[in-house]
Amino acid sequence: MDVIQVERVRKRFGNKDALADVSFSIPKGEIFGFLGPSGSGKTTLIKILTAQLNPTSGQASVFNEPAGMMQQSAQKMRFGILTDNSGLYERLSIEENLELYRKLYDLPRSAVDKVLQFVNLSGERKKKVNLLSKGMRQRVMLACAIIHEPELLFLDEPTSALDPVNSAHIYKGLRYLNDKGTTIFLTTHDMAEAELICNRVAILYQGQIQTIGSPKDLKRQHRENVVFVELINGEAYELPIDEGTADQIADWMRRGLIDRLETKEPSLGDIFIKMTGSELL
Amino acid sequence: MSISLKRVQAIFVKDYKEFSRNYAISIMLIFPIIIALIFKRAGASLPGASGFLFNSSFVLLTCFAQACLIAEEKERNTLRSLMMTPATTMDVLIGKSSLVFVMSAVVLAISTLLFGYEPANIWAFVAVIILSIILYTAAGTICGLFSKTLLEASLSILPVAFIFMGAPWGEVLAKDYPVFKVLDYMPSSQLVHLLGLSNTGYTTGDVLKPLLINLAWTVVLTVVSIILYQRRLKDE
Repeated sequence: MDVIQVERVRKRFGNKDALADVSFSIPKGEIFGFLGPSGSGKTTLIKILTAQLNPTSGQASVFNEPAGMMQQSAQKMRFGILTDNSGLYERLSIEENLELYRKLYDLPRSAVDKVLQFVNLSGERKKKVNLLSKGMRQRVMLACAIIHEPELLFLDEPTSALDPVNSAHIYKGLRYLNDKGTTIFLTTHDMAEAELICNRVAILYQGQIQTIGSPKDLKRQHRENVVFVELINGEAYELPIDEGTADQIADWMRRGLIDRLETKEPSLGDIFIKMTGSELL
Repeated sequence: MSISLKRVQAIFVKDYKEFSRNYAISIMLIFPIIIALIFKRAGASLPGASGFLFNSSFVLLTCFAQACLIAEEKERNTLRSLMMTPATTMDVLIGKSSLVFVMSAVVLAISTLLFGYEPANIWAFVAVIILSIILYTAAGTICGLFSKTLLEASLSILPVAFIFMGAPWGEVLAKDYPVFKVLDYMPSSQLVHLLGLSNTGYTTGDVLKPLLINLAWTVVLTVVSIILYQRRLKDE
C-alpha cells in the first residue's frame, strides 16, 4: 500500500517552477530520501504533502486522501514533521515543551520519558530551551515530531545541525521507528546520510526528479564499466569489463602480481553531479 | 469545528508558564492597577475617568498581551508547529485567548475595586466587560497574526490604541465635523455610555444599545480573527 502518491505535481511561485511535474509514490514502511541542493523544491514538496501549501496543478495524496485533508486533526495524529519552520518555546524546559506535545496528542506520561531516551536527552530534561546548543534544539524538535510514534514522518534535513555522534544516534532511532512500521520521508543534501538510511532516493534538481531508485540500483546503473588493477610493481590499469580483461586478471592472479583490484562504484554525490552537472550544496 | 478541552488546557498552561517568565509583557498587568490608583486619588467622579481606565486597560493589557503572545509564536515558528499538531483552530485560539481573558478579568476586577467604580446595573456592567475582553482579545489576535515579529506587534496595536481609546473623545470633534459622529459607534464609546449610566434612572434602551453594538463588534472581530488564523495555516 502506498502511503504517499504524487502525480504530476507542479508548484509555481511567480515565474519560476519550484516543482515541475513531479511524480512518485512511497509504499508503507519505506525510508524515502529526497535529495537535492538548497532551493531545489524539497521543502515545497513537504509543505504540499502536509497541506501547508496548495499545488498549482497535479495531485498529491497521503494515506489515500488528498493532501489537503492533512489539516484535519485525525490525519495530523498520523504524521509527524520536523522542518526549518519547526519551533520551540524558549522559556520552557525541554520537558515542558514535550509535555505540551504529549497533551496535544493525548498520550500517557511515559511518552515523554520514552522520547527523551530516544533523542538521548534524558539527563537534560530540565534545561531551558534558550540554553541549548543548535544540535540539542534539533533533537528536541525531533522529539516533538515523533513523540506520538507517527505512521508517517516528514524530516527536512534532520541532522543538518548535528555532530556525527548525534547523527548516528538519530539514524539508529529512525531505523528503530522504521522497524516498528513508520514510513519516513526525508529530505537531505547529505548523500552519505541518504545512502546510509534510505531504502530509495529521488534526486531533485531545479524542481524536477532526475532519477529515482534504491541507492544500490542507482549506483549499479551509473557504475562505470571498468575495473582498476594495481600490480605489485606499481603499474596501474583501468580496464573495460569484458572477457579479455577477465583472462588477463586471472593470469595476473595466478602469478600473484595483483596488489589491488576494484570496480569503480560511484557515490550518490557522483551520480548527482553526473545527472545535473552541478555540485550538491 | 471540534474543541478538545484537554488541548485547550494544555495550550493555556503552556501560555501561562511562558507569560509568567516573560517580564516584558507580564509587567503590563500592573498598568490598569496604576491607572486605577492615580484616578482614585483624583476622585472617582472625575469625568471620563472610568471610561479611560477600562478602555486603556483593554488596549494596553488585553489587546497588547494577546498580540504579543501570537506574534511571538509566529516569530519563533511555534505557531506553525502548533498548527501541525491535532489541535484545531478553535483549540489554539481558545487556549491562547483564555489566559488573556482570565488575566484581564482579574486585573480589571482589582482595578474596579481600587478605583471605587459602582455600576448602575451590575449585570450590564459584567456583560459589557466580558464582551469587551473578548473583542479586544480578537483585535489583539488580528494584530498578532498580521505581525511577523514581537516588535511589529507592539507597533501594530498603536492604531488600535489611537482609534479605540480616542473614539470617546470624538464627540468633541463631532460638533464641528459631523463625520466624527461615526466614532460614537466604536465599542469604547459605547462602553463609556454604559459606564456613565446614572444610578437614579436609565431606560432598558440605554443598557441594550451599547450591549448590542459591542456584541456586534465582538462577533465581527472574532470571526475575522478565526478566518485570518485559518488563512495562516497555509502559505501563499
